[in-house]
Amino acid sequence: MSRSVVLRVANGRLSLRLEHRTLAVTLLLSLALAASAMISLSLGSQATPPTAVLEALFHPARSDIALIVHEIRLPRIVLAILVGACLGVAGLLLQGLVRNPLASPDVIGITGGASLAAVCFLALGGAALGEAWLPLAALAALAGALSVALLILSLSGRGVTPARLVLIGIGLAAALGAGTTLVLVLAADTTAMQAYVWLTGSLYAAQWREVAGLAPWALVGLPLALALSRRLDVLALGDELATGLGTAVRGTRLALLLLAVALAGSAVAFAGGLSFVGLLAPHIARRLVARGHAGLVPATALIGALIVLHADLLGRIAFLPRDLPAGVFVAGIGAPFFVYLLHRWRT
Amino acid sequence: MILMPLSRTCCRLVALMLLSGCLTMTAHAETLRRVEHALGEARIEGEPRRIVTLYQGATDSALALGLGPVGVVESWLERPMYRYLRDELPAEVRYLGLETQPDLEAVAGLAPDLIVGARYRHADVYPLLARIAPTVIAGTAYDFEAMLMLLGEATGREAEARELLADWHERVADFRCRAAARLGDAWPQRVSVVSFRGDHVRLYYDGFARHILDQLGFQRPEGQEGAGWGVKLISRESLPALDADAIFVFMRDDPAVVELHREWTTHPLWQRLEAVEQGQVYRVDPILWSMGSGILAANRLLDELYVHYGLHDGASAAEYMAC
Amino acid sequence: MLITPMAKGLGLLLGAMLALTAGVASLALGATEIAPASLFKAFITPDPGSMSHLILRTERLPRAVIAAVVGASLAVAGALMQTLTRNALAAPSVLGINAGAMCFVVVASSFFALRSPLELVWVAFLGALTAALLVALLGRERGGGLSPMRVVLGGVAVTALFVSLAQGLLIIDQEGFESLLLWLAGSVAGRGLEIVTPLLPFFLGAAALCALLVRQLNLLILDDEVVKGLGQRTGRVRLLAGLVVIVLAGCSVALAGMIGFVGLIVPHMVRAMFGRDHRWVLPGCALLGAGLLLAADTLARFLMPPQEVPVGVMTALLGTPFFLHLARRRSLTP
Repeated sequence: MSRSVVLRVANGRLSLRLEHRTLAVTLLLSLALAASAMISLSLGSQATPPTAVLEALFHPARSDIALIVHEIRLPRIVLAILVGACLGVAGLLLQGLVRNPLASPDVIGITGGASLAAVCFLALGGAALGEAWLPLAALAALAGALSVALLILSLSGRGVTPARLVLIGIGLAAALGAGTTLVLVLAADTTAMQAYVWLTGSLYAAQWREVAGLAPWALVGLPLALALSRRLDVLALGDELATGLGTAVRGTRLALLLLAVALAGSAVAFAGGLSFVGLLAPHIARRLVARGHAGLVPATALIGALIVLHADLLGRIAFLPRDLPAGVFVAGIGAPFFVYLLHRWRT
Repeated sequence: MILMPLSRTCCRLVALMLLSGCLTMTAHAETLRRVEHALGEARIEGEPRRIVTLYQGATDSALALGLGPVGVVESWLERPMYRYLRDELPAEVRYLGLETQPDLEAVAGLAPDLIVGARYRHADVYPLLARIAPTVIAGTAYDFEAMLMLLGEATGREAEARELLADWHERVADFRCRAAARLGDAWPQRVSVVSFRGDHVRLYYDGFARHILDQLGFQRPEGQEGAGWGVKLISRESLPALDADAIFVFMRDDPAVVELHREWTTHPLWQRLEAVEQGQVYRVDPILWSMGSGILAANRLLDELYVHYGLHDGASAAEYMAC
Repeated sequence: MLITPMAKGLGLLLGAMLALTAGVASLALGATEIAPASLFKAFITPDPGSMSHLILRTERLPRAVIAAVVGASLAVAGALMQTLTRNALAAPSVLGINAGAMCFVVVASSFFALRSPLELVWVAFLGALTAALLVALLGRERGGGLSPMRVVLGGVAVTALFVSLAQGLLIIDQEGFESLLLWLAGSVAGRGLEIVTPLLPFFLGAAALCALLVRQLNLLILDDEVVKGLGQRTGRVRLLAGLVVIVLAGCSVALAGMIGFVGLIVPHMVRAMFGRDHRWVLPGCALLGAGLLLAADTLARFLMPPQEVPVGVMTALLGTPFFLHLARRRSLTP
């Protein structure tokens, strides 16, 4: 038995068992994230030495790059971290929920639903409504994600079996993709390109209002995922065992699915159709920390954040003065890794 | 209970802000101008000279007013800038990436005193732009008159802007008059604006060129009053949808486009179009007709029309008498 | 379900009639009204001066031929793929073949300025082949056989790899994006017969191979243990059937772009009617696939004239309800 720490909250009604290795990995990942954020903060099209960045950070009044650091780079970095964490954990929940390593928000159509709604909104001229449009677009995307989740649930019928959930999800994802293509083909050039950038997933021009929009979802959703982690462990044993252990399988599954949709839907609403984070982050996390979702949730969140942060940094500075969507690089890092995982996982 | 003091504090804060607002207003009463634009109001001090233009129409308009921008976005063709504007641009101008996602840090780094954008592109970045410098936003992409006036107002060159517009309106009236005299019963003409692409053909119902053609008194063929920007056609069977008294065609010089153009224009359905039978198909400049969207592009577009309709020489007696 | 050979034969006849009707509709209906009489005259006694004859011969005939060939090929490829992987969800589009073709086409048009359909056909074919080989490589088990689950997972990975690469390039090269968007959405219009001709030997070869393999294919449905017990070996059949799939799907994608769903739905529909015997399933797939794509393409012309709905979108929209109906049923056997 490896050494572990048990955290008890609320008079022991909620307890988390964390192994030392998991704690160490989590700590290391947090440090890596902080370092990456700091590096990202001092890189950009304007040359800014780290000392100047520190000064801008702590004494904005004295700095002439305060605006760049505080209003352009910082919100974008914070948003990247939140988005990555939300998408990663959403993927982890879905994979545990349907017991399929392939499940992720984009594979089963949740991202597709959000994308179709958002692209329709953009193509119908929503972007030109003015500054007030943003909450509406995010809301549309979120509603799209939620409707797909409900559709999957209602089509799955009474016994929400994991296999059927995935099947129906894949089917819906394809239909939603066709709908999105139709909107793209019909839209004028200007909106089509903008919509395509959105679909790829971009954090361009992220501002504090986007951060404020996503933060509540992340701050409620991520701890909730941690709280539900033990249920995921039980669910992983199979329906019969889980029922035997006194878990209401159907109710748990519903709660987990809704939580995953809320996390993925809100992240997609503010960052566009970033794919692959939800698939990749949990798989990497599984290689780093021991079994058990209590350790997996924070590790996945940190890895997701790291992936999106780095992908966005690349998109921001690799092709200056152009700004490429982070989504291009997420998939670029993600797909080869997934192929590698698949290669190793041989029965 | 907690709310009470909080709301009182808020009241005080608001009062304080109002007061300070009044104070600053009186202090800069002479130099501060308020410019209304599509997304609000910009407060501009003095006459801005470090201007950043974030879409092609704004770059064109700024150059027309004799203002050399310090930063511009890249053009879509003839990168980094359309040839018709390139000579006018200051040599040290900074390119800020694409119109869709301009490099905001570079914009801030230029320390501009005016930023010009368009609502369809920059609505979501506007708050950030407005924090960098006073920002004015155009309402539509191709309403070049409004852009010119907005820019004139923002830079204190309203007189110049008015003059340019007056010249423009004079030219429009001249074209209408001459065209009516020259074409007689054939005026007003119904015209189509068509663009050949690599794998399809576009028929425009709306946009910069249509906006100008409408002003000049050209009309639309039946069925082209539809809402939206236009349609993409993929089957040559749709060729009759292009028909009009005259067709303006623009396309890029690309092998696939040239091939598609050849396939479509050698088809008998094309040969049977009224405009083709009358010999009224005009090749026009793709940049001026679909991408320039400023007063300079508009004037050059009009030059092309004068040439195509043979109105530039003013030789016709009827034309001379009438106009 | 049809049981006796007589009933099945009649079923195939009905399928042929349906495909024929869709074909005639595809020729007869469109933006220009054409009198039914000229339908036959255009091909028997063509009059070079007649506009309707001209439209029939230069526009609608190539379109109908491409739709029929592509529809039949995709459906047969889908059926074979489902048999090979024993996975009800397998189809060319699910297994990365479309994405491979897409990525190669985008690369060719942005780096090598290849834009003409005749060149792109070969590029797309090469892309489809590469993706298929990659998926097969990833799907292999230790013993050398293909594991259904691994093939599906590999397909998703390969799809993501190629799609992300293509997306990045499309965003950098805006012009390329605009001229490829319609191909990406799938279309059988605007291409001449001269594009089909060089690929025809491939289609015919694949069809001939299918006809030769049809009996052995039935063995693949059985359990590996049972097959071994019967003293049969399936390795070569699998290999040849895989080749047929790649040729059929690759050529189809090259001709018509990203048309999803035909390869997925039609085999299920056909199995629901004819059972699992490939002697009936394959011809049934060919007929029904051709009929469905012809019908989708004809319908696509009338939803918002003069513009056309991309046929790939049309098939997906027509196909989804049926797919969901299938997915809700308990048994989903290939």
